[in-house]
Amino acid sequence: MQVFLLILFGFLSGIVGGMGMGGGTVLVPLLSFLDIPQKTIQAINLVSFVPMCCVALGFHAKNKLLKPQNVWWIVLPAIALAVAGALVADMAQNDVLRYCFAAFLLAVGIWQLIVAVRFAVRQHRQKRNSSQSTRNAL
Amino acid sequence: MNLTAKNKCFLVALSALAGFVNGFLGGGGGVIVVAEMLAILKLHQKYAQATALLVILPLTVVSAIVYLVKGNVDWIPTLWTSLGVVAGGIAGALLLSKLKGNVAKIIFALVLIAGGIKMFF
Repeated sequence: MQVFLLILFGFLSGIVGGMGMGGGTVLVPLLSFLDIPQKTIQAINLVSFVPMCCVALGFHAKNKLLKPQNVWWIVLPAIALAVAGALVADMAQNDVLRYCFAAFLLAVGIWQLIVAVRFAVRQHRQKRNSSQSTRNAL
Repeated sequence: MNLTAKNKCFLVALSALAGFVNGFLGGGGGVIVVAEMLAILKLHQKYAQATALLVILPLTVVSAIVYLVKGNVDWIPTLWTSLGVVAGGIAGALLLSKLKGNVAKIIFALVLIAGGIKMFF
């Protein structure tokens, strides 16, 4: 049963990850339903992301969705601090990591929701304005 | 696109944060990377999401190596999960080029909030 759930949870998060929306933010809470320590969950997330990312990048390159200009300004500082983050995580307790991840998810979720709702409201207003101006022109 | 000195500073600071989050929490850095690609590099949503993977791959490899060296990787559940993640990743990559509208974003945000609440209790 656990093997089935691992594959299923992996598949669901892979869909989100393949779209570049942050599959880890889905996989980590799903794996927390199983009896696995937080640090192991995080390691599973990191390792399983690597082959998926290679495959997804192949598809995105084929669909001409990659814009690598200026990417070095992001990659180099991110790599340096990723090592530091992983070393700090090794020293941290599982519960601390779990609560930090939960707080991060809540913060990002609320922020994404605000952005998405604002975008939807703006689109709705634009649509209403354009249909009103069409009616006025008639 | 030519970056101003101010934008370069923002990129470096936010990327450092994304890297730390990714290493410390074992994921989540991609959300910050996508945000900076949208806000500073002015990429469209689809391009930002795809190109973010180009950034997340090396920093995930580096973080994974640290977790591996520190003995935090349990290979059996990792391999089963990877099987599902790769299959899902192919589906997700194919879906991205067909993705329309704002609905996916709202669903994703609600999933994140639900996940956060679940992990607190």
